[in-house]
Amino acid sequence: MKIARLKKREVLKSFLVENFGIFLTILALVVISSVNQLSMGGTKSYFWRNLLWHFIGLIVFFVIFLSIDYRKITLKAVYLLYTGLLILIGIMDLFKTRWINLGFISIQPSEFIKPLLALIFSLEAEKASSSVLPSRVFLKLLLTMGIGILLIFITDLDYAFIIGVTFFTFLLFLGVPKRIFFSLLAVVILIVVTLGPFAWRHVLKPHQKGRIYGYLHPEKYASSWGYQMNQSLIAIGSGGLFGQGFKKGWSTRLNYLPAKRTDLAFSVWAESWGFIGVTIFLFLYAYLLYYTLYVSSMARDWLGKYLSFVIGLILFWQAFFNIGGATGLLPMTSIPLPFLSYGGSITISVYFLLSLLFNIAFKRYFFK
Amino acid sequence: MSFKLRKILKPQFWETRLLLAKIFYLFMFSLLFLRLFYLQIIKHRYYLRKAKERSVVRYVLKAPRGQIITSDGVIIATNRAVFQLYVDVDAIKGKEDKVFLRLSKLLKESFGELKERYAFGRKYSFGRVLLKRNLKWNEVARVITRLYYLPGVSIEVESERYYPWGKPYFHLVGYVARITKREYMRKKDQGYSIEDYIGRRGIERAFEKELKGRNGYIEIEKDAYGRLGKIIKKVKPIPGKDLVLTVRHRYQMAAYKLLKGKSAAFVAISPKGAILAMVSTPAVDPQKFIEGFSYREWRRIQKNPFHPLTNKVLMPYPPGSTFKVITAFAGLEAGVIKNVFQTIYCPGYFVYKRRRFGCWKSHGNVNFFKAIYESCDTYFYWVASSLDVDFLARVAKKFGLGEKTGLNWAEEKRGIVPTREWKKKVFKTIWYPGETLYFAIGQGYLSATPLQMARAYMAIANGGSLYKIWVVKAIRDPISKQEKYFSPVIETKIVPRDGRYFYWIQKALIETVEKGTGKAAKVKGLWVAGKTGTAQVISSKWLKERKGRRWEHHAWFVSYAGRTQPEIITAVLVEHGGHGGSVAAPIAGEFYKECFNMTSENRP
Repeated sequence: MKIARLKKREVLKSFLVENFGIFLTILALVVISSVNQLSMGGTKSYFWRNLLWHFIGLIVFFVIFLSIDYRKITLKAVYLLYTGLLILIGIMDLFKTRWINLGFISIQPSEFIKPLLALIFSLEAEKASSSVLPSRVFLKLLLTMGIGILLIFITDLDYAFIIGVTFFTFLLFLGVPKRIFFSLLAVVILIVVTLGPFAWRHVLKPHQKGRIYGYLHPEKYASSWGYQMNQSLIAIGSGGLFGQGFKKGWSTRLNYLPAKRTDLAFSVWAESWGFIGVTIFLFLYAYLLYYTLYVSSMARDWLGKYLSFVIGLILFWQAFFNIGGATGLLPMTSIPLPFLSYGGSITISVYFLLSLLFNIAFKRYFFK
Repeated sequence: MSFKLRKILKPQFWETRLLLAKIFYLFMFSLLFLRLFYLQIIKHRYYLRKAKERSVVRYVLKAPRGQIITSDGVIIATNRAVFQLYVDVDAIKGKEDKVFLRLSKLLKESFGELKERYAFGRKYSFGRVLLKRNLKWNEVARVITRLYYLPGVSIEVESERYYPWGKPYFHLVGYVARITKREYMRKKDQGYSIEDYIGRRGIERAFEKELKGRNGYIEIEKDAYGRLGKIIKKVKPIPGKDLVLTVRHRYQMAAYKLLKGKSAAFVAISPKGAILAMVSTPAVDPQKFIEGFSYREWRRIQKNPFHPLTNKVLMPYPPGSTFKVITAFAGLEAGVIKNVFQTIYCPGYFVYKRRRFGCWKSHGNVNFFKAIYESCDTYFYWVASSLDVDFLARVAKKFGLGEKTGLNWAEEKRGIVPTREWKKKVFKTIWYPGETLYFAIGQGYLSATPLQMARAYMAIANGGSLYKIWVVKAIRDPISKQEKYFSPVIETKIVPRDGRYFYWIQKALIETVEKGTGKAAKVKGLWVAGKTGTAQVISSKWLKERKGRRWEHHAWFVSYAGRTQPEIITAVLVEHGGHGGSVAAPIAGEFYKECFNMTSENRP
């Protein structure tokens, strides 16, 4: 027993040394997050609350990293959690809310769908590990995801959309049977063509349609639908190469940027630190993504490979939709950016994903 | 320490997909990266400008326009503080009727008129619309206490141009008007703001650069809720410079009084070319350009057959007999008149190349002096019959005719001094010798402005120095009180072949007033010399057929006067006035009396 413990400590040491780069990267990202929240000026409470969330996230991280072995997570438990969460979201749908307000904090349950779905997908795929998913498993996963999406869709279109995109890409990487893939493609195209115009006219709410307008013509609708997009573009563009400086950005300081602490936190960063700051952030983030692929390649079992891969996908799509929205590449969505956006749910869920990632990276040393 | 890894799981298909994922991430991140490069590097200036437009409000601090002061210290153009009611076009969009209805009750004005003024202001100028100017105290109080329900309405204290003397100075000083859209587009780089005034006509236009000063501005941060924050930048306005004119207020007012009711031009200059008075009638009150005309008033001004907007001092007219002194000078120079006492018989006409050129009456024997003081045409026909047209034109040009006088105003015209070349260019025919005869008595193609004629007589009076005409004596900086003085500039010096030529002409001009056609200008105790002129608008034959003022002759009188030596040179032109001797000469005489205080008995 003593030897085993000793060995574990030695392993941890070597693990830390070998993965020093990624720890530094995550530290840098956390620092960026704090500096960014501080640079928004106004009350400092957000800065401290953000730090508090990171601290809580770190506790979650260490607890899970040190105490749980990802290989011991059972499919049954995850399904159970998933079902519970879906019931919660279902109840919330009845009240037409996406937040659970606990007084001092509010939680966004849909945020936790992602890690749970990641676990379900990886566990199911592991059972049938081959280059192409069997049709049965594929349809089962599609259904699992579909139910979640449908429930989230009612209150939170953006989350439903990003979950759909993330896990569908994951399925593509897992290997979709060709026949099913093409028939599915045909069905989707058919649905879009026939129901699309109907949805545009009757289902989409004005503010959702407005986002499309704002995306297509940010300056024409500068005072209505395009306001967020326009202000975000001005903030980013006025940053220039070196940025306007810490706490100096006009858009941030004078409150022109809406949702600057959450959805448009990236624009704040871009305005304050310019293209150089943005480049640094993108490189750090890209390195994190690269690391997920590296872990996936090095993992000793299928569960580890799939899980680390899907963690990367989740992080990637979150960032892509957020930054794409802020820069006007994509329509505006209210999807937070890991590390930059303020928010309890997103921070905890990101730390949870990271803990799983490092768990995988760490546990590979213990395969016998 | 090394670990033995028992199971190495590296299936090929998964490695391929990881590679695909790597490429996918790289591609997508490159998209973001390029987009950010585009926004932050390529479009940086554009977005920075937009950010500034959005978050910085800029208030223009208008520079007070320079004052215009006469040489005897009377302020003729100044600024006064007034309350102005402005309406912001964007802020009242969609609420116009509501706001105007409330305003019409508060200001006790008709709703329709307010709306009309607003529409007019929107059409011709940028920025806020000046709806009502010069508000009274009680109006200010009524509006300001109700501003909360008048969105987009603001009252501001502004310095506005004020012309205390009105009509007499209209053509001399000109006026200011709000900058038009087109002018603004052209001049915004020169520091004009959209609510600026710009000089129109006269001194206000010619000295716009000096009078304008430079606007300052103040830049204040504005946050998303419209609250103003700290001042980023403040640039103080530089007030415009004051102009001290050579014009004397007393002369100007005297001249205007004499010309009132006529369609006439009057200019008085000093022997060194400084303008002492410049009046053109009928005139318009320049203050009206700031207060605004009603539609009917403006129509009346535009339809007025006597053109109140034109400065007649700078418009060309046939100079008539007043030109004869130049012909006389040319005759002396060319040696045609060998002896000034040589007489020519005037039977009332002159025959040249089998054509009859009429004189206005039969003068009998005339010599050089009599020809001028009796204004005998025959004598000058005789002179001109041996003169070459180009030579005569050259002499006329030497006296400044056909050229700008150096005043440098845009409204100044050159007039015409015909030459062979000119005729070929304009009429595509050769010069007929008979036309030289008309030219010699100031008719035909020749035309000159009253100012040019006064200047030519100035050269005669001062012995041949043709000074540039100037009107601003000094430019004064209102802050440092520094003054920049101007001094007369000689353009050309006319050097006659014989020093007595000017003396003879001067003698003839004195005789004109003593016993000739210009007797009406005689002033006891003063030394007046001048020449009358009656310029035909159409030939006398035609005049008999057409009655009406429109075809009457223009009456001229160009003269100079002084106690011991020439002090003032004047040119009077009464449009369609009739005979120069009976209409124009008395005006000059009265003016001299007024100037030299000859009306009071206790003065010589």
